[in-house]
Amino acid sequence: MASTLFRTIQIHPFLLYPTALFSRRNGVLYCTMKSSQTQTATQEKQQPPKVKVPQHALKKTVDKITRDYEAIIGIETHVQLSTLTKAFCSCPYNYGSQPNTSICPICMGLPGALPVLNSKVIEFAVKLGLALNCKLSLNSKFDRKQYFYPDLPKGYQISQFDIPIATGGYVDLDLPLEFGGGHRKFGITRVHIEEDAGKLLHSGNGDYSQVDLNRAGVPLLEIVSEPDMRTGIEAAEYAAELQRVVRYLGISNGNMQEGSLRCDVNVSIRPVGQSEFGTKVEIKNLNSFSSINRAIDFEISRQALLHSQGQSDQIVQETRLWEEGAQKTVTMRKKEGLSDYRYFPEPDLPEVILTPEYVDSISNSLPELPEAKRRRYEKMGLSMQDVLFLANDMNVAEYFDATLSSGADIKLAANWIMGDIAAYMKNEKLSINDIKLTPQELAELIASIKSGTISGKIGKEILSELLAKGGTVKGLIEEKDLIQIADPVEIGKMIDKVISENPKQLEQYRGGKTKLQGFFAGQVMKLSKGKANPGLLNKILLEKLNGQS
Amino acid sequence: MGSRALLMLTNFNFKTTVSSFGSASNPFFLIKNNLRTRNFSTKTRSSLQPPDLPGLAETARISLAPNEVEEFAPKIGQVIDWFGQLQAVDLDNVEPAIRADTEGDNLREDAPQTFENKEALIASVPSYEEPYIKVPKVLNKE
Repeated sequence: MASTLFRTIQIHPFLLYPTALFSRRNGVLYCTMKSSQTQTATQEKQQPPKVKVPQHALKKTVDKITRDYEAIIGIETHVQLSTLTKAFCSCPYNYGSQPNTSICPICMGLPGALPVLNSKVIEFAVKLGLALNCKLSLNSKFDRKQYFYPDLPKGYQISQFDIPIATGGYVDLDLPLEFGGGHRKFGITRVHIEEDAGKLLHSGNGDYSQVDLNRAGVPLLEIVSEPDMRTGIEAAEYAAELQRVVRYLGISNGNMQEGSLRCDVNVSIRPVGQSEFGTKVEIKNLNSFSSINRAIDFEISRQALLHSQGQSDQIVQETRLWEEGAQKTVTMRKKEGLSDYRYFPEPDLPEVILTPEYVDSISNSLPELPEAKRRRYEKMGLSMQDVLFLANDMNVAEYFDATLSSGADIKLAANWIMGDIAAYMKNEKLSINDIKLTPQELAELIASIKSGTISGKIGKEILSELLAKGGTVKGLIEEKDLIQIADPVEIGKMIDKVISENPKQLEQYRGGKTKLQGFFAGQVMKLSKGKANPGLLNKILLEKLNGQS
Repeated sequence: MGSRALLMLTNFNFKTTVSSFGSASNPFFLIKNNLRTRNFSTKTRSSLQPPDLPGLAETARISLAPNEVEEFAPKIGQVIDWFGQLQAVDLDNVEPAIRADTEGDNLREDAPQTFENKEALIASVPSYEEPYIKVPKVLNKE
């Protein structure tokens, strides 16, 4: 077995970096997991295949190898909380402000300065703990995690070690249909509170590094998953669900590019059927969902290849960096034993005590979470594709819900939002909160079309005006005199006029060119300025064309 | 510095407990049994092991010459023994506490306040080049 594989590999040395294999799939991934606006970003995002080798052969070989192995994936996620101030001092934090301007003796770790915990941090931690179905520790504490690094002014990070604020939860999600769909439940080991370090910049030429301490002391929640994921897609969707949850809760902007949501991934593989875990490798520098997916798939095939070549001893416990440009992981540092962080209880901070009343009040204030929304939309009869689209962005979901509560038809409302409205938002680079069309007017528009007051075509025209300028459906219909003509006599008159003005075409039609019906219908519609009821128009037109003029 | 050093030492003793936490394969188990683990460590360690001084110094980023190690080792051993007296306290009927103080929360409103004397903060930085703090080049941890 191994030797056959080995031979294949010799023929295709590029297999070691099977970049091109994943690029095709990424494209699709990108659009499902990015927000609604980037639905069609697929094409631009595709990587041109870097190596000219028969893709089929390549893919088959890798698939064949990876099929014999099972990957075990766990994720540590750091979520930066959107509090106004830092965790233990009142310094304001704003992403992108001038370096070293938001600092004070506490976050700089100057002697004698004492930390005081921000109450919002506890509130946000409890919210996330509840949203992730965790058990909360009513009594928890802070610990010092000690290490020396220039972005850590105190020489230790205030964190939670043996008693995290939340433990033993889970997250539910639905995989997009493009990836086979299906429901997944992934365990959450723990959620704990800690502070961020400063930012370290490495100057290109000089023999020094630069430190910006604005971020030092900003509150983070670290979420540790159970090693429940098996593929890059599952891991990326897990991260995407965490992003949705923190955004729904309003505790973080979840922005990966700014580093407000950071994922470190642990990957190990083992031959299918083996119960003990393989050596685990940590991957860092993953700043998009698609890079999580690609980095993991790359890492799985790298490890599977080493296994299949009898070189599994070369899989060592280490931290690897994902290189976006090269589409591969590279060694960052090898680990030798566990780091000794010398944790001990933070003597400068009191115990964190949660009362059951406090937890209840927060529990009662939680918004409807993504999973609950998806299940509710599903029960309404929407397709999974609609469900995933609508529940992906909390604002879109709220807009949809508001449209429904104004009485709109469920499927029609979904179609308008996912179709014309989404396209408009994408073109104009707007979010749903920026558009001028209110959910009430969208409901009105849908009702007007349904009742036949206006035609669907005119509905679309009104929509673009409402999106850009606002106003009301009724007002626009009146102002522009757009009410659909549903009077058979009036439509008949217009048909008569068109027929009499086009004797040649009438002759051809009656001579057998029945396709010309479309021409007549078009002319009548034009004459009515698009207002004629299309069903009625066609019915009367047919009668008149086939009967006597 | 004195109190910091003591903390380091207490922490060192704590280490055996810590690593037994770390080796637990199921972190959930670890949390549930946390309090018991503590009692356990208190009871079984009747005599404390002296620290590996060169290792301790390295972790604290302190350089010690071999003769200094020789000089300090017995002194630190004495401190450890002093802490060791705590092991004699009978805790059988005492509720475990996760913190020494019992007062609990002392929380702050999330209201921004800018620290006024920033110039003094910056002035105390040993090496500063607007707008960054300059440090020796670092690329990897450890």
